[in-house]
Amino acid sequence: MLPAGCSRRLLAELRDALDACAERQRQLERSLRVSRRLLRVWEPAEPPAPEPTPGPKTNEEAGSPAGTPSPQDLKELELLTQALEKAVQVRKGLSKTGERDRAPSLKSGSVASPATTASAPLHTSGRGGSQASETKPPRGIRRTTVPAKGFPEHRLLSVGDRTCMGRGARAAKPGPGLRDQQIAPSAASQSPEAFTLKEKGILLQLPMAFRKAASQNSRLWAQLSSTETSDSMDATITAKTQFLQKMQTTESLLGVWEPGGGKSGWPGSGLSAAEVEREVGRLRKACSLLRLRMGEELTADPKDWMQEYHCLLTLEGLQAIAGQCLHRLQELRAAVMGQQLVPWPEGRLPSAPSFCGGGTDTIWSPQLLLYSSTQELQTLASLRLWVAMLDQQIHLEKVLMAELLPLVSTQKPRGPRWLALCRAVHSLLCEGGERFLTVLRDTPAN
Amino acid sequence: MGRRRRRVDRAAAAGALPAAIAALSRTLPGGPSPETFRRAKFDRPEAAPALWRLLFCVLSPVPADGAAASPAPVAQARLVKSELRSQGYPRGSLARLPEDGSQGSRELLLALSWLLARGPLLEQLLAQTRVRLGDEMPVCECEALASPGPPAPHVEADGCVDVRHLQWLMGKLRFRWRNLIASQQEQCALLGKIHSYTRGCHSDHSLGHLSVAEAELLRDPEGGRQVRAGGARDLGPWGSDQAVVFGLQLLQRLESENARLEAALEWRRRELVFWQWMDTVLGACPPDASQPTFLPRIPARGASELELVAQELQALQEELRKAAEPRRAAWEARVGGWGPEWKAAQRACEEAVRQELAALQRSWEHGGGLAQPHGPHRLVRSEAGMLGGPGLPAAEVITVLRSRKACLEVALRQLQGQCRQELARLAGALPGFIWIPPPGR
Repeated sequence: MLPAGCSRRLLAELRDALDACAERQRQLERSLRVSRRLLRVWEPAEPPAPEPTPGPKTNEEAGSPAGTPSPQDLKELELLTQALEKAVQVRKGLSKTGERDRAPSLKSGSVASPATTASAPLHTSGRGGSQASETKPPRGIRRTTVPAKGFPEHRLLSVGDRTCMGRGARAAKPGPGLRDQQIAPSAASQSPEAFTLKEKGILLQLPMAFRKAASQNSRLWAQLSSTETSDSMDATITAKTQFLQKMQTTESLLGVWEPGGGKSGWPGSGLSAAEVEREVGRLRKACSLLRLRMGEELTADPKDWMQEYHCLLTLEGLQAIAGQCLHRLQELRAAVMGQQLVPWPEGRLPSAPSFCGGGTDTIWSPQLLLYSSTQELQTLASLRLWVAMLDQQIHLEKVLMAELLPLVSTQKPRGPRWLALCRAVHSLLCEGGERFLTVLRDTPAN
Repeated sequence: MGRRRRRVDRAAAAGALPAAIAALSRTLPGGPSPETFRRAKFDRPEAAPALWRLLFCVLSPVPADGAAASPAPVAQARLVKSELRSQGYPRGSLARLPEDGSQGSRELLLALSWLLARGPLLEQLLAQTRVRLGDEMPVCECEALASPGPPAPHVEADGCVDVRHLQWLMGKLRFRWRNLIASQQEQCALLGKIHSYTRGCHSDHSLGHLSVAEAELLRDPEGGRQVRAGGARDLGPWGSDQAVVFGLQLLQRLESENARLEAALEWRRRELVFWQWMDTVLGACPPDASQPTFLPRIPARGASELELVAQELQALQEELRKAAEPRRAAWEARVGGWGPEWKAAQRACEEAVRQELAALQRSWEHGGGLAQPHGPHRLVRSEAGMLGGPGLPAAEVITVLRSRKACLEVALRQLQGQCRQELARLAGALPGFIWIPPPGR
């Protein structure tokens, strides 16, 4: 068993790590739910009724120049749309698995004919389609073109809906009205493919009010981010600086304070805890960069005296810099302890978005990230998570090292329990907890 | 003539201050009314609660779920004080204010102005609560590290644990990461589909396709109503990572953000007169002569962070010394007999090394991460080579991340190697056992 203090600290660290991971997972789950729902068949807003309700399910009317259609039109439009979906599904079902039941496909066949009505040249099939509905299901199926090819066809589709709605949809209405009930649940459960979005995604159009607001939004953000200087700006900056100085000097604190939250140089100058934290972060980064550079120098193979000299000088230079950083760190430590700064108080709120290292020049509205394929996006996302995971692993490694190694070296007597501890610590520290070594007692053969 | 102009100027100036304060209060989140500001100048107690609330709102990040209830006023006051102190607020009178939130409006007004003067506070606040219309992905990890999210309420077990419990926890962590990566892959695939299916619909041609938020707006324009009805949909608490409040609510949020942005721009134009006024407020304060009272130092993790870094630097320095000293000795031995003609070449070498190291130092001191991509970016799917427009290509980010991943892996291996050596040393001191390392990868 580990001692109490050690246990508590290690448990706290591991729990933090687990919680951070769980939080990411939660956020991801939420996003996944939304995305999955978008790619399924878009259901009407109202709870399902015996008849398909004329909810604003499709959005052709949002952008259509023909004005707001009547509820009757909407209803028929919706039926037509559902018919189209079933048709596509059936076609896919047939082409994929030959063994789908004939029964639903036959039913869908009659439903499919309004689809041929719409997608084929309008004036010809307007009449023929509805009559052919009962007599020629197989042909109807085969002729069904997926109406998702190309932009102009969709435009036709939306206009065509209205012209042949009267015929095709009305004729098919009593049919699909009932059959939909049977097909709809099976359609939803058969394949989670992106029906609506896949078929009609290109038709979508954002509402005008939204578009206006969005463009105004980006314009305002651009204005806010632009750093133009003018006389009044300079006067403002001066006024602010003076105000800050006055605030500072009403206190009898030592040292000079720089406006803009810049780093104050030396101890005893009223360093704030936040600044100390930032400096420690910078020095941590410095340490890893130095170490990286050292690794490069040590693995390089000097070919002539010049390179050898270069390597030597670099190593000595790195050593000097490391010494400077250490000195700075000791100054900070003295400042924290000597001045009784409140370093990281108990109820400290997590800091405002910090920078990777510089970012005083951040643009406040997001920039674009262009990707060209899903593969690329997945690579990007997984690399990001790997970096985060490795960061966390390194932190945990350091914490575990600091706690467990002293334990192993100081625990006496070195009995079997110590061996077990040693083995466990080895696996945790050296193998990331994934593998174990074996310890054999070496009994001399007498 | 001159007297009239002066009167006009004074009248204009007299109107400028209320306009500036009004703009400020419109920009601040849930901003206090201009009356509150005026009352605060005279240290009226009725202005205090609003200012405490405002400072708490400003100093704490937006809670992720919105489900965390805002703490009681006493707790709010305490957090405000400690946060201001840790940021270096110079006046001690703040620490002496009673925490029931009944007093101190003038001091709070000064604190607010102090925060405003130091940095781009308003812009930061607006950016925190920005309506996110696109699907965003951060290209660096600094945001995730800075805000670890709401801490889950743990009952801290004071008992001792066995090391096997730690091993179990590590395994659990590994498993969670694997799950996370798999879920992320799925989400990327879905996003890719949504983006490619809606190609060509967006009014903004540089974007080209809809984002999840926009598509959701179209799918469910009445989404706001659904949320309130709370019906059969499993909406649950929504995070701020996607603009998941849809429909009418999205439009409303956009419009209110636009109003705040306009107010911020107006504030920028008018703020000079505010600072002149704040000077008078400061002047009206009694001088704050006594030293600020120090809060007792609470040992927290931050202090050990400093220690960890110090240990690392010491270890590094030691390693460098061990590497450099023998080389220096060997070099001196070799070069002892060399003549002055080599001196010039040596000096050139020294200069080159000096410059390289200076560049290295700059990279952590002045935030050399400027070259690195940073911050959340809106995802835009475009066929390779189609857009020459503004935007960061994913390939670049991938390269940067790959090299960062390689560095981190090297660092981890190095740490593990250190542990291995140390444990081998300890184990070797105990004779009579054979240690068989696990099979390598």
